[in-house]
Amino acid sequence: MSTIDTTALVNDYSDLLYRFALPRVNDKDLAKDLVQDTFVSALKNIDSYKAEASLKNWLMTILKNKIIDHYRKAATRLTDRLATENDSDSFFEGDGHWSKPAYPKDWAIPYGSRIEQKEFYSVFELCMKKLKEIQHAVFSMKYLDDIDSDEICKQLNITASNYWVLIHRAKTQLRSCLEKNWFTK
Amino acid sequence: MISCKEATDFISKKEEGKLTIMQRYALWRHLLICTMCRLFNLQNKTIVKNASTLRETDASLTREEKDGIIQTLNQ
Repeated sequence: MSTIDTTALVNDYSDLLYRFALPRVNDKDLAKDLVQDTFVSALKNIDSYKAEASLKNWLMTILKNKIIDHYRKAATRLTDRLATENDSDSFFEGDGHWSKPAYPKDWAIPYGSRIEQKEFYSVFELCMKKLKEIQHAVFSMKYLDDIDSDEICKQLNITASNYWVLIHRAKTQLRSCLEKNWFTK
Repeated sequence: MISCKEATDFISKKEEGKLTIMQRYALWRHLLICTMCRLFNLQNKTIVKNASTLRETDASLTREEKDGIIQTLNQ
């Protein structure tokens, strides 16, 4: 499509797309690749673009689909693994009690409120980075995008019991990481 | 009596109203006697509350990265 000014397109929309993608995949290179793939698909399918939709929304729809595809790939890799991985995790003993090194400590803050310091979010992002891809995926879908668990299971084609295991592990790991690197530092 | 592992799992399920009445009761009883899971419950609220702010970022691509994308598109 020679009528499309690719330079203007990228200049106008790449940051917007990047800002959406980055926290959802938590990897700069991957986020950049997803943005590029979005433009590639957009140009390839420009004939299906309907002028009544805004260009921005159309690009965002393509990007969202790319992110979900990426999550799905992580989910496929996971499904064979979760079944074999016996339910071991370092935060709990075999009988389901907190393991001693993982005892939650008091954070001494007003719980449940917003933490305004910018540095806190860098720590939060760092802790998110330590999650496995698929844990990151379900956590983002649930808590960044407010999608409910049934819908997440459907989109990623995972069972409800896998979902709850993933969310539980993501949270216990995040909790512990935030505690070590922020609240009790 | 449910274990701490179950209790913390129930806490996430409760957010979506996925607990039966018996499970809610079991969680309530567990939290009554378990300081650590009570802490987890409060800390979970903090995590959930602050996670939503992560969706915003002011990061941007560098000029070179944008030019790289433009180049790829023009090929």
